[in-house]
Amino acid sequence: MTKADSQPIVVFENVNKDYPGGTNALHGVSFSVFPGEFISLVGSSGAGKSTLLKLIYAEEEPTDGTVYFRGRPIKDIKRKVLPFYRRAIGTVFQDYKLLPQKTAFENIAYALEVDGRPAREIREEVTELLDIVGLGKKGHKFPRELSGGEQQRVAIARALIHHPQIICADEPTGNLDPVSTREITDLLLEINSYGTTVIIATHKNEVVDQLNKRVISLVDGRLVHDEARGKYLIKS
Amino acid sequence: MQRTLKLWRTFKEGLTNFQRNGWLSFATITILSLSLFIIAFAGLITIGTRLIVSSLENRISITVSFNPDVSENRITIMQEDLRRFREIASVEYVSRDQALKDFLESNGNDPIIRQAVDEIGENPLLASLVIRAKNQADYEKIATVLETSKYQTDISRINFEKNRRIFERLNAISEAARKFGLALGVAFALIAILITFNTVRITIYSHRQEFEIMRLVGASNLYVRMPYIFEGILYGLCAGIVAVALVALGSYGLAGFTTGAFPQGSLLDVFVSYLPMLTMLTVTLGIVLGVISSFIAIHRYLKA
Repeated sequence: MTKADSQPIVVFENVNKDYPGGTNALHGVSFSVFPGEFISLVGSSGAGKSTLLKLIYAEEEPTDGTVYFRGRPIKDIKRKVLPFYRRAIGTVFQDYKLLPQKTAFENIAYALEVDGRPAREIREEVTELLDIVGLGKKGHKFPRELSGGEQQRVAIARALIHHPQIICADEPTGNLDPVSTREITDLLLEINSYGTTVIIATHKNEVVDQLNKRVISLVDGRLVHDEARGKYLIKS
Repeated sequence: MQRTLKLWRTFKEGLTNFQRNGWLSFATITILSLSLFIIAFAGLITIGTRLIVSSLENRISITVSFNPDVSENRITIMQEDLRRFREIASVEYVSRDQALKDFLESNGNDPIIRQAVDEIGENPLLASLVIRAKNQADYEKIATVLETSKYQTDISRINFEKNRRIFERLNAISEAARKFGLALGVAFALIAILITFNTVRITIYSHRQEFEIMRLVGASNLYVRMPYIFEGILYGLCAGIVAVALVALGSYGLAGFTTGAFPQGSLLDVFVSYLPMLTMLTVTLGIVLGVISSFIAIHRYLKA
């Protein structure tokens, strides 16, 4: 599918985001994300990468401008509907954000339980996803019993459970060694190859250069580069 | 159907959290149990005091003695009249013969007293009506009514004045016990609520990052909140039962020192007679405290 024959899934329209205390996290950011794209969001710490992702999964609201999801302003989504919206977006974080008191299986299953899905269906889907992320035999382990790479796989499996249209990954390899980084990047590429849009925020140039996909570069909250097949251009 | 399934899941989740956070659950229950124990024990002592006061109240009465020439028939008519008063609980007739018999018995059938009575030649005691009021504050009113009634010429004396000071002191003690019990109960309840709230708040604080994760994977605020509400119920239930067990131990320990102090016997006997009510109230209070504390503590971490 090409950009020409599809509608953008996410659109940023002249978005500003200020935090209390006068921090200007994003300034006049505009770009579109099309279905099936794999976008690397690059920039040094504090450039606004995480804020940009938070605006997509509705953890924050823009101060000015509008963020659209499938043509609809995200800020118009009612509070009650927000949990349903978040189920359409998979989120992955640097610190994995797994529930420490739940096993790998339960962490993934939780995302379906909140939806009220039947137990048998949950069991089948979670088992299948654990196999896909290569953790078929580690479902009964608690996060503290898994390596960083394995925990991130669980987080990715959880992000995939609702078959989201888009995955937002905030520094997904930030805490990982080079081998695990490679594995996680490959996993995200594989997910993207099935049609899921992936946006990753990263400051690891080796990840970006290896991907050879679209790169959006941020400097001090401003979008400075947007290249279809880019490299990591920011000097840290 | 889906709602029931979700409710069941949040309940299971609360139960699992409760088990997996073993030490935290243990610490919370310990603190909550101690708070509830203080309240329940103060409650038991208050109940005991009330029982003593009310048993003393039951022992006091007004005795109306009649002139020797008043017939038993007339006294019976007056007894019937008095029974119609709302304020009066009972009116008991004591004949002259019965009064003498009681008098001799109360003196251990002392032969010297018996001889003295025989020497007088006739029964020196008067027939009387023993009146018990429903509320001891009404004795004065009853005495006034008697003194101004159509029977006043039949009455030899009313022993109210003699007992007036006892009545007043008992009234003061009863009132003081009630106020003191209430103040103590309220003070302990407030302390318990503060301690419980802070303990549950610390427990919830340790989970604060999990709330964010739950919301990010699409859980509604209600779905995030419910397991902690159920956890609060479990804390309250366990702590309530432990608190009642502690009160049982305390009452057992004090049983030896309190034998005969209460109408029922010892403090342990009072505890046993009020066990169902005490258990129900303590457990309910524990659950209410646990749930409200969880509800308030979690609220600040839940945004849209």
